[in-house]
Amino acid sequence: MIAPPTWKTVLAAVLFSSASASAAEQPALKPATVKPSGRQGVTLPKATTLTLKNGAKLILVERRDVPLVSFSAWLRGGALADPAGKEGLSALTGELLQKGAGARDARQFAEAVDGVGGRLEVHSGLEALTIAGQFMSKDSALMVELLSDMLLRPRFTQEELEKTRARMTSEITAAKDGDPRALVGTYFDAFHFAGHPYGTAVDGTEASLPGIGREDVLAYTKNQLGADRLILSVVGDFDAKALGAKLQKALGDMPKAASPAPQVAATTVSKGRRVLLVDKPDATQTYFLIGNTSIARNDPDRVAANLAGTVLGGRFTSLLNTELRVKSGLTYGARSYFSPESQPGAFVISSFTQTEKTDKAIDMALEVYARYRQTGLDDATLESAKAYVLGQFPPRLETGQQVADKLSELAFYGLDSRDVDGFAAAVDATTRQAVGTVIQRVLPPSEDLTFVLIGKASAIREMARKYGTVTEMKISDKRFAPAQR
Amino acid sequence: MFRQTLLWTSCAALLVAPAAGAQAQPKAATKAAATASSKLGAKVESRTFKNGLKVIVWPDHDIPNVALYNWFRVGSRNEYPGITGLSHFFEHMMFNGAKKFGAGEFDRVMEANGGSNNAFTSEDVTVYMDWFPRSALDVIFQLEADRLQFLSFDPKVIESERGVVYSERRSSVDNNNMGSLAEQVQATAFVAHPYQFPVIGWPSDIESWRMEDLQRYFKTYYAPNNATLVVVGAVTPAEVFALVEKYLEPIPSQPAPEPVRTQEPVQQGERRVVVKKVSQSPLLQLAYHGISANDADAEALTLLLSVLGEGDSSRLHRRLVEEERVALRATTMYSGGFDPSLVWVTADLPPGGDLARVEALLTEELARVAKDGITDAELTKARNITLADFWRSLETNNGRGYALGATETFRGDFRKLFDAPARYERVTREDVRRVAARIFATERRTVGWLVPGEAPAATPAAHKEATR
Repeated sequence: MIAPPTWKTVLAAVLFSSASASAAEQPALKPATVKPSGRQGVTLPKATTLTLKNGAKLILVERRDVPLVSFSAWLRGGALADPAGKEGLSALTGELLQKGAGARDARQFAEAVDGVGGRLEVHSGLEALTIAGQFMSKDSALMVELLSDMLLRPRFTQEELEKTRARMTSEITAAKDGDPRALVGTYFDAFHFAGHPYGTAVDGTEASLPGIGREDVLAYTKNQLGADRLILSVVGDFDAKALGAKLQKALGDMPKAASPAPQVAATTVSKGRRVLLVDKPDATQTYFLIGNTSIARNDPDRVAANLAGTVLGGRFTSLLNTELRVKSGLTYGARSYFSPESQPGAFVISSFTQTEKTDKAIDMALEVYARYRQTGLDDATLESAKAYVLGQFPPRLETGQQVADKLSELAFYGLDSRDVDGFAAAVDATTRQAVGTVIQRVLPPSEDLTFVLIGKASAIREMARKYGTVTEMKISDKRFAPAQR
Repeated sequence: MFRQTLLWTSCAALLVAPAAGAQAQPKAATKAAATASSKLGAKVESRTFKNGLKVIVWPDHDIPNVALYNWFRVGSRNEYPGITGLSHFFEHMMFNGAKKFGAGEFDRVMEANGGSNNAFTSEDVTVYMDWFPRSALDVIFQLEADRLQFLSFDPKVIESERGVVYSERRSSVDNNNMGSLAEQVQATAFVAHPYQFPVIGWPSDIESWRMEDLQRYFKTYYAPNNATLVVVGAVTPAEVFALVEKYLEPIPSQPAPEPVRTQEPVQQGERRVVVKKVSQSPLLQLAYHGISANDADAEALTLLLSVLGEGDSSRLHRRLVEEERVALRATTMYSGGFDPSLVWVTADLPPGGDLARVEALLTEELARVAKDGITDAELTKARNITLADFWRSLETNNGRGYALGATETFRGDFRKLFDAPARYERVTREDVRRVAARIFATERRTVGWLVPGEAPAATPAAHKEATR
């Protein structure tokens, strides 16, 4: 059993780990001009950037301290390109990229990666499919071969498709027996963003996956996984010129996507309060998320929002964790985080507590939240938050894999190295007033909140009613959204 | 928040660390790797102070940050009925106030200086970690010294922290089927040795730790002579040693803790445990009595488990997930400790999955490797995977702090970290077969089934909480 997420890994997911700051031109970050930071920051290494004729973008950084090469490939589209009723198509396609490509069947492909101690992982995201890999530098030729086989020559055999689809479907069912923290976010998105692509269950549902066939996968690949959607960053022990030439040769023939990239309608803040109660009859603890639509990845106020989120629920001494865990012992953890995407994503408060104290914990979280929106923070707290985010920033860009991921992510969102290089200065320059203004803008008012509770419905149904109109579903239901009436 | 319990860890690769070899020219590449790895450790310095505290420093200035790991040789292995879970609870209490820095101040001061922290408890050790910018070095030593010398025990804080740990137990065990089954399997596999206790503790013990238990624990186990401090990152050994002299060396040593004398008697026949829980998917766990971290077969075991369970090309994944399609996942796990601990082989089944069939297939695969061993290609692959894991683990301050501390604690000398590639080179196919035969004997295993069932009227855990 893997231990629960550590505070550190939680942070990585939380504080726009990737986000951060700077005075990027496009879109601008406030404040536009900042003084150099007195504190030590991090700067991204200088990269060699190439754009191939087919639109593929390559970003290369030589880094020779350990004999490893890491890459991060982002393909725009992700689950946003899943047709209605075929949720999980992009995720299934991503899984199948590793199940046989080029000269290798699924088994030979896995042997090739494992045989040299390599790592190759496909991650299905909402807005992009990403492939991350790491090989010993002596195996970089093999790495290029495997990656280009995946992108240009996936086999997508019927047999592998059926097997993978069945396994993915069962994994969702099995996850419902596991720690509810792994799924509560999927329920939240499905309920909160219902009708918008941001509500898509990225990994699909037990209802949608069985209906996805090989023709869907082929169409998705042709329409979405094109060279003009590819951003590939490689960091590590190699010669940039030689590797650039090799990649150019390997990826130069990759076709462009046949369809335009999915466009996302603007997301909106929902009005009023509503509650989704997911019944898990054997639960002895209730897991809850409370939130609303908040900000986008490239929001010009992202540094101030990061600081605001850190104080409320982004670190151990945050207001939420102090009240719910440290002072009252109601829970093992309480936090808040943003999920920034191209369009404003969710901001949520998250915690869990024993069934009998569900309303006590939720009331306390709401109280802390309302007070924070009302009174903001003092100078000492802001200073502490600044020191904290600056102190925790450098280890997020310590490894080649982290740097490769960051370079691709910045390019994906139309940002550049100033988002990292200018972070320390932007944090330093943020004023209490700026954070106060941002709190009012990005943290939804207390009367406009979406609640998702996973727990023992017979025991918490009454408690749930005081937070808004309750919609109920069972954890065994084959979708993450309640049935439409 | 993740101050967490490692009920059983997935850190096998780190604890047992390195391997070496390359596909084309295993020998030459390994030699190169061995040289590279010993060069890597050339800057590491260590010193043992007057009070018995051993300090290891690995300077590295890639980023302006530092990772501090403080390893205490105390875990659930040092517990007995009535106080199970105490080591882990104590882990929590170390954050709850001392003399100079009162309740809540440890975290408040650390975060205000840009640092964060975490801690974990296992069967063998309790480890405290701080991650901070180098500018915070002095204040971090003040914080650590204060809590080691003057920890306070406020009854109100103890009561509140009990609730936190109970919530942690609900998350990792009661509301997590994998955790529920593992707890029962571990408790069944050991009848005498304290490895039978769950690290998080039995519910009734969580409710009954007493003040005097805590105070005794602190005095006995949180002594400088029972700890190893590892500091990695943007520091010099000289400045760290000077800070240790100033802040930690004045803390007096204590009599060495009582050794754990109980050895688990040899198991005489297979044990089985069935857990019935509300669920849609069955789970299977096999636990074999294994070896200690310092056993001469440790490297061979690591390679064996890699061949069986690491990656989509591994034997168990191929057979159970891809070919027979009876499992969603098949894994192997081993985390070496002071005493022989369990080697886990687990499978997650799809809804309606056939536990007996999966058990038979796993048993067959394990018997096959014990009889026929592995191929040359598999040995090379396992070495490459382990070598790559080794480099990855040494890529960050955090990874280096863990690896150095684990090697020093469980192998008795941190330098063994850098010899590891050579040790893996010496492992032969016959060594791997022999260790498989040594470990995978059905009469020395515990088989755990989690069988989907109906919700009971009231679970004992729920009842207990209701009365608290």
